[in-house]
Amino acid sequence: MNPLLEQFLSESREFLQGIAEKLMQLEDTPDDSHLLVELFRLVHTLKGNSGLFEFPEMTRVLHAGEDLMDAVRDGRVAFSQQLADQLLDAMDFVSALCDQIEDGGKIEAELTVDSYRLSESLRALMASQQKQAEVNDQIEKITQVSAEAVKLDLSKLPEPVRIEAYKRTMAGESFYWLIYSPIETCFFQGEDPFFTARQTPETLWGQITARESWPKLSDLDAYRCVLDYEILTSASHVELLEQYRYVPDQIQLIPVDRWSFVIPQGDPNGGAVYEDFVIDALQYLDAGDLDSLRPVAESMLQLSNPDLWLSSALRWLLLLIDTVPPNHQAITILIESLRSLNAPDWSLLKANTNELEQKSTVTTEPSIPEQSPSEPEQINTTFIDSKELSEEDALALETIFAAQLQILQIDDQASWQFGRVKAAAGVLLNCCKAIGDEKAIASIEVAIEKSLSSESSAPLLAWLKARQQTTPAVKPAESTVVSAELPLGLVSLEEQATSPEPEQITPEIISPELVSAEELPKFSRRPDDMASAKSLKVDQSKIDRLMNLIGEIVVSKNALPYLAQRAEEQFGVRELSREIKAQYAVINRIAEEMQDAIMQVRMMPVSFVFQRFPRLVRDISRKLGKEVHLVLEGEETEADKNIIESLADPLIHIVRNSLDHGLELPEVRRAAGKPATGTLTIKANQEGDQVIIEINDDGKGIDPEVIKRKAYEKNIIDEATLERITDREAVNLIFAAGFSTAEVVSDLSGRGVGMDVVRTAVEKVNGTIQLESEVGLGTKIRISLPLSMAVTKVMIIESDNQVFGLPMDHVVEIVRIPVSELISIKQSKTTVFRGKIVALKTLNSLLGLPTEPLVNSDNEVAVLIARIGNEVMGLIVDDFHETIDVIQKPLTGVLAGLGAYSGSALMGDGSVLMILNVRGIL
Amino acid sequence: MAIEYKKNQALFVDVVSVDEAETFLDWLQNKPNAKIDLSRCNHLHPANLQVLLASKVAIAVWPKDANLKAWLETVLQPA
Repeated sequence: MNPLLEQFLSESREFLQGIAEKLMQLEDTPDDSHLLVELFRLVHTLKGNSGLFEFPEMTRVLHAGEDLMDAVRDGRVAFSQQLADQLLDAMDFVSALCDQIEDGGKIEAELTVDSYRLSESLRALMASQQKQAEVNDQIEKITQVSAEAVKLDLSKLPEPVRIEAYKRTMAGESFYWLIYSPIETCFFQGEDPFFTARQTPETLWGQITARESWPKLSDLDAYRCVLDYEILTSASHVELLEQYRYVPDQIQLIPVDRWSFVIPQGDPNGGAVYEDFVIDALQYLDAGDLDSLRPVAESMLQLSNPDLWLSSALRWLLLLIDTVPPNHQAITILIESLRSLNAPDWSLLKANTNELEQKSTVTTEPSIPEQSPSEPEQINTTFIDSKELSEEDALALETIFAAQLQILQIDDQASWQFGRVKAAAGVLLNCCKAIGDEKAIASIEVAIEKSLSSESSAPLLAWLKARQQTTPAVKPAESTVVSAELPLGLVSLEEQATSPEPEQITPEIISPELVSAEELPKFSRRPDDMASAKSLKVDQSKIDRLMNLIGEIVVSKNALPYLAQRAEEQFGVRELSREIKAQYAVINRIAEEMQDAIMQVRMMPVSFVFQRFPRLVRDISRKLGKEVHLVLEGEETEADKNIIESLADPLIHIVRNSLDHGLELPEVRRAAGKPATGTLTIKANQEGDQVIIEINDDGKGIDPEVIKRKAYEKNIIDEATLERITDREAVNLIFAAGFSTAEVVSDLSGRGVGMDVVRTAVEKVNGTIQLESEVGLGTKIRISLPLSMAVTKVMIIESDNQVFGLPMDHVVEIVRIPVSELISIKQSKTTVFRGKIVALKTLNSLLGLPTEPLVNSDNEVAVLIARIGNEVMGLIVDDFHETIDVIQKPLTGVLAGLGAYSGSALMGDGSVLMILNVRGIL
Repeated sequence: MAIEYKKNQALFVDVVSVDEAETFLDWLQNKPNAKIDLSRCNHLHPANLQVLLASKVAIAVWPKDANLKAWLETVLQPA
C-alpha cells in the first residue's frame, strides 16, 4: 500500500469519527449552525480526499452526504433523527469501504450498486417529495435497459465492424451498445469523458456524436460538455459498470442482438431489379442446395459494384450461408429484402428462432466447413475424429487458425489485447469442439487460461505455433479478411503477420491498465493545490524508538556523577570532578527537556477515548429504551498514548454498566421524582502527575446489601467479613473477580467478567479505581492513572546493604522516628504519626531478610510512609538515598513470577536496581 | 507540452488538457484558415475537441495514435 493511501485511510477514520461525533451533537442541538458548518466541512474534506484515489463508490456516497449537509446548512432541509441515522449508515458504509481497501487495496465492484443506492437514499432525503419509487427506477436504469425498449440502429457502424461483431456473436460472445452521455458540467468536476470512453474495455467500435449543432465560435462555451459517446463492446456488464462506476447514471447499456448487425447498406442503384436472382436463390434455398447458392451469389457479387446495396446484401448472404448451421429463415429474409431493397426485417425471425435453428441443423450438409460454436454437441456426434476432415474442411480450419494467429500477433492497441485473446480463444475452442479433437481442447484450455490470467497472448500463440508445426502446412489463404478492414487501428495485419517471432512481441504486451496509463497520462492536480501540513503523522514505532533512545541517554547521563565521584576520590582531581558535574548539569537539563518533549509527542487527549461514547451511549440507550444525556468534560486532558489506549476498554465497560444497571427507565425515574432523562457524566482532569477520570451517573446506585449478599453467595467474602464490612467497601466488591449482579445475561453486561477486568486493566498501567455509590442517587467511579508510564521516578532505599527502588507515586513522606515511639500491638509495630495510627512493617522481614533494621546514632529508625490505594503504611528501612528517573523494564523469565518486584532498571553506574512492587509486598 | 501555436498552424502534442481549450478557442477565432496538426497528439480533452468541431477547422495531419484517429474520424471531417 502506498504511503499516501495509508495516510488517507488513517485520516478517513478520524474524519468518520469526527462526523459521527458532530452528528450526535447535532441531535441535541439541531439549530447549531456552527456545528453544521463543521460537519459539512468534515464531509466535504473527506469527499475531496477520497477523490484523490480511484474509489468512486466512496466518493459518490460522500458526495451525496455532502450535498445533503449543504442543504441542511442552507436550511433547505431540516435536520432530523432519520437524517442522522441515514448519514451514520452512510459513514458506516464508508468505514467498511476503508476496511476493504486496507485489506485488499480495492473496492469490490458489487458495492457500486450499494453505494449508488445509499447515495440515492441520501439524496432522496433532500427532496422528500421525491418518491422512493423514482429512486428505484433510477437504479433500474443503470443496471440495464431492456432490448425491446430501445430500437438499436447500428447502420452507422461500418460493415466490416458489423461482420466482425456478427462473427464474434456466433462464437459465443455478447455485445453491449453503450451510450455515454456525460452531464454538461462534467468538465468542471475534472472529468474527461473522452478518456473514459477510450478506456472502455473490449471496445470494438466507438463514435463521438454532438448533441446539438455548433454555434458560432464566438458563442461557443467550450466547457459545456455536449458530446456523447457510443461504443460497441463485448465487455461484460460487470466490467462496464466498473469502468463507468463514477457515472453509472450517465450511461445506457443495451444488449445487442446478433441480427442487429446484419444490415445491408449502399447505393440502391435505381431500385430493385434483382427479381431473377431472388427467385433462383429461393429455389436453391428451398432445395437446401447451399452449395449451388453460394457460387451464384459469389458471381453476382463479382459482377456488382461493391458500393451497391446489393453487394452489401450479398456479402451478408455469403456470410450467412457459411455460418453453420445456416439459418434458412434468416437467409430467406435476407434474399427477400433484395426484392424491395428494404432492410431485412429480423423481427420475423426472432419470434421462432429456436425452432428454426433446430430445423436447420437437420438440413445441415456435412461438407460445409465446421466452425460454428452454436451447436457443438450435435457436431461432435457427426465428427468424432479430426482425421475424418475432408481436405476442404482441413484447409478451412487451417485458414481459421492462421487468422487467429495473426490476430494474436497484433499489438497496436494493448488495451484491446485482452478482448482479442478472448475472442481468438473462443474461436479456437469452438473449432476444436467442432472437429471433436478432445486432446486439443484440453491443451488449448490450459493455454487460454494462462493467456487470460497473464493478459498476454503468448501462451495461446505458443499453442498455435506448436499446432502449426505438427499439422501439414497449409498456406493460409486470404486470412486477413477477418479483420483487415477493421477500424480503430486494427489495420496493419499484413505487417504483423510477417513478423517472424511472436516472442518478440510478447514483452511489449503489458497489462492494459499499465499501457493506457503510460500512453494517456491522467491530468494531474495543479501543484498549488498542495497545502502545507501543520501536523505530522508518524508511525508509533518510530516514537517508541526515540523513546527508548532517550531512555538510554537518561541512563548513561546518570553515569556522569559516578565519574565525577571517581575523579575526585580515586584520582584526587577535584577540578575535573567539578567540571564533569557542571557538564552533567547541562546534559541533564537537555536530557530532561528531550524526555519531556518526547513525552509531549506521546501525549494524547482523552478525547481519543471519549469520542466514541456519544455513539455508544446513543445506540445503547436507544436499545434499552432509556433516555440518557451524556456530558463529557475535560476532553483535552492529556496522558501518554499507552495509558489512554489502556483506558478505552475499561471505560466502555463502565459506561455500559452504568447504562444497563445504573440508569433507570424513564417511567421509573419519573416515579422516583427524578427527571426522565438520566445524566451520565464522564469527566477527565489532571491532578499532579495523575489523570483522574470520573464516571458519574444519577441512576439508582448500588445497594451495598445486595452486593454483600451476592459476594457472600459467591464465596468472595466470608461470614465474618460480611458482618464487618462497610458499605463503602461493599460496593467496591464489584471489582472482585467473578462478581456479577445481573440475574440475566444480556448482550450488554452480566457475564461476570465485568468489573474485575476493568480493575485489572487499570492496575496494569499503575492506576487505581474506586467506586462510590448512594442508593437512589447514583454511582461515581473514579479512575486515577499516571500521566506517563515510560519513565518512573523512584526513590532509592537501602536495607540490609542492598538498594531498592520504590516508585515515588507511593511515597507520602520519609521520616525518622525514635525507637521509643514505636508501639507494639501483638506482633505488629505501629506508631502515631501526625495524629494517626500508622501500621509499620520492616522491609527486611517482608523480603525475608533475617537482619533487623538499622538504627542511627540518634536511636531513630528510617520510616517511609507509603500510600497503597487509600491506605497509608509505614515501611521501616535502613536508609534513604536520592530519587532518580528510571526506565523500568519488566522482569522476564523465572523472575516474572516474583510478586515483590514490579521490574528492574539500570542505574548510571551500570548496576541493576530492583523496583519494589509496594502492592505486592504489603 | 500541449498546443504549439505557429503562424497559421496549431500543433497538438501529447496530451492536450482541459486548460488549453480556452486559449485555443481564442486563437482559432483570429485564424479562420488555421490548420491543425494532430500527428503527435495522444489524447485531447473533449473541451478541445468541441472547439475543433465547432470551428470546422481543417485537420491537416491526423494523429499517429491509431485509436485516437479512429475515434476522431467518427466525428471530425477530413480536410
